[in-house]
Amino acid sequence: MGVKIVKREGKTLKERSYIFALFTGLRVTLRHFLKNLKDTSNIKTISYPEELPKDITPRYRGVHRLTKRDDGSVRCVACFMCATACPADCIFIVAQEREDGVDEKMPKKFSIDLLECIFCGACVEACPCDAIRMDTGIFTFIAQKREDFVIHKDALLKNKAMKGSK
Amino acid sequence: MLSVSVVSINILIALLFSLGAAPILVWIERRVAGFIQDRLGPNRCNIKGIRLGGLIQSFADMLKLVFKEDYKPSSIKEGFLFSLSPVIVFVCSYLTFLVIPFADDLHIGSETFMMQALPLEFGLLWFLAFAGLSVYGIIIGGWASNNKYSLLGAIRAAAQVISYEASMGLSLVSVLIIYGTINLGNMVDYQGQLLFGFIPAWGIVLQPVAALLFVVTAFAETNRTPFDIAEGESEIVGGFHTEYSAMRFGLFFVGEYVAMSASSALIVTLFLGGYHIPWLNTAALQAHVNVIFVAIMILLPFGSYYFARWITKNNRWPQVGDIRNKEAAWLKKILLIVNILVVTLLGSFLLFGLSDDGVNISVAALQIITFAFKLLLVNFFFVWVRWTLPRFRYDQLQDLGWKVLLPLALANIFFTALFVVGFGV
Repeated sequence: MGVKIVKREGKTLKERSYIFALFTGLRVTLRHFLKNLKDTSNIKTISYPEELPKDITPRYRGVHRLTKRDDGSVRCVACFMCATACPADCIFIVAQEREDGVDEKMPKKFSIDLLECIFCGACVEACPCDAIRMDTGIFTFIAQKREDFVIHKDALLKNKAMKGSK
Repeated sequence: MLSVSVVSINILIALLFSLGAAPILVWIERRVAGFIQDRLGPNRCNIKGIRLGGLIQSFADMLKLVFKEDYKPSSIKEGFLFSLSPVIVFVCSYLTFLVIPFADDLHIGSETFMMQALPLEFGLLWFLAFAGLSVYGIIIGGWASNNKYSLLGAIRAAAQVISYEASMGLSLVSVLIIYGTINLGNMVDYQGQLLFGFIPAWGIVLQPVAALLFVVTAFAETNRTPFDIAEGESEIVGGFHTEYSAMRFGLFFVGEYVAMSASSALIVTLFLGGYHIPWLNTAALQAHVNVIFVAIMILLPFGSYYFARWITKNNRWPQVGDIRNKEAAWLKKILLIVNILVVTLLGSFLLFGLSDDGVNISVAALQIITFAFKLLLVNFFFVWVRWTLPRFRYDQLQDLGWKVLLPLALANIFFTALFVVGFGV
C-alpha cells in the first residue's frame, strides 16, 4: 500500500487572511456586472410573453394534432390503438362509419384531456397510420374552465406542425 | 431669511441623500444583483412606458407597503414595543445622516454656514451614538414579536453588536489621533492637503488599516451581508422582522438602506476625502472655478453622447409597437435639454463673471455633486460585496470581531500614536 499525501489547502497566512480571496471574488462579480451593463443582450434571459423561446425543436412533444391525408380527409381510422397505449387514459374516441368513403372507419369524436395528458408520446408511437403527432411545438395552453382543457377533433385537426418539422 | 433658506436646503439635501436614496438604493441593489448573476432584475414596471431602467418598480413597491393592511398578530403581548422598534431603527438610521458634511463651510456675505443638516461640532460621536442605538430597535422588535425565530434574530443581533462595536470605536480612535478632531468638517479639511505634494491626504492613504476595519464593521453595523446574521433569511425565516408586515416592515426595510447610506457617507467623510475633488481643496477650487466650468462644459456633452448611445443600445423592449419602446427617445431628449441648460448656465457664468458669493455657492454645489458621486460609489461597493460574499456564521463573526479586528485595531492605535508622538506630525 502506497501512501498518498493529500495536500491541505488554506493553511497559509495569505489564505487564512481571506483578503486576497475576497478581492478575487469581487473581481469575478464585477466582471459579470460590467459585461452585462455594457450590453444587456449578453444576458440570456428572454422576456417571455413578448419573446418566445427559440430552442423548441421539431422533436419537442407539444400539444397533439391530427394529420390529414393528401385529399384533406382525416387520416385517423379510429382503431383505438392510441387510447389503448395511453398510460394516462386521456384520449376519448367515438368511432363511426366513414362518410367520405376513403376508408372504413373514422372518429366521430376524438378528444384529448390536456390536464390528464403526461405528454409521453406513446400515442404517437402506437398510431399505425401516422394520424396523431405532437410536433406542433405548442407548450402553453390556457383556459378558464377544466372542460375547456379537453380539446376536440376540430381543434386537433386545426393544429399545424411547427416550422422545421418533417 | 438667508440663514433659514440655507439651513432648509441643507436639511432637504440630507433628506435626499438618506431617505430619497432608499428607493434608488433598492433599485441599484436589485439591478446590480441581477447583472452580477447574469439576470435582468426588475425591468417591466412602467408609467406610460417610462421605466427608467426599472426604477419605477421601487416606487411601486413602496406604494404597496404603504397601502397594505397594518397587521399585528394576536400572539403579540407588547404591542407598544412591537410598534416602537421599527421607528427606533428608522429614526436612528436617519439621524446618523444629519451630521455628515456635504460641502465646505459656506460663506455668504458676512455669514458662515456649516453645510450639514445638524450643525454640530461633535459629529463623529453623534454618529456612533445613534448607530449604536439603532440595534436596540432590532433587539426590541425581535423580542416583542413573541416568535422563536424573531427572538433568535434578536439574540444574534445582540451577539453581533458586542463583537463589532468595540472594534469600530477603536478603529476610529486611530483616525482621531491623526486628524486631531471629532468635527467631521475639520476632518474633511485635513484631507484636502497633499501628501509629499502629489498624493491627496485621504484617510485611506493615511490609515489603511483603520479604513479596512471601519469598512468591515460598517457592514456589521448596517446588518448587511456578509454580516446579516440577524436577518438570516435562509436560516431563521426573516429573523427579527418575521412578524412584521406592511409599513412596519417598510420602516425596517427603508431603515436598512438609510443606515447603509449613512455608513457610506461616513466612510466617504473619514477615508475618501469627503466632498473634496481629488487634488482640489476648497481654496484651489475657488481660485480655479472657471477652469472647472470649462472642463464640465467640455466633458458633459461627451459623457452624454456616450450615455445616449448606451440608452439606444440597451433601453429596448422586445415587442414591436410597445409603449416602452418610446422611452429611449424621451430620455435622449431630456438628456439634450439638460446639456443645453447646464452649458448655457456655466457659459453665462464665464461670460459675466461671478461675485465672491456666487463663487462660494457654485463651489459648494460642485462639492455636493462630488460628495453624491462618492456616496454612490461606496453604496455600490456595499451592494457589490453583498452579492459576492456568503453570510458569516454566528460564531465566525465573534471570532472575527474579538480575535482579529480588536487586536488589529489596538495595534493600529499603538503604532499610530507612536508615529504621531515620535515624528510630531
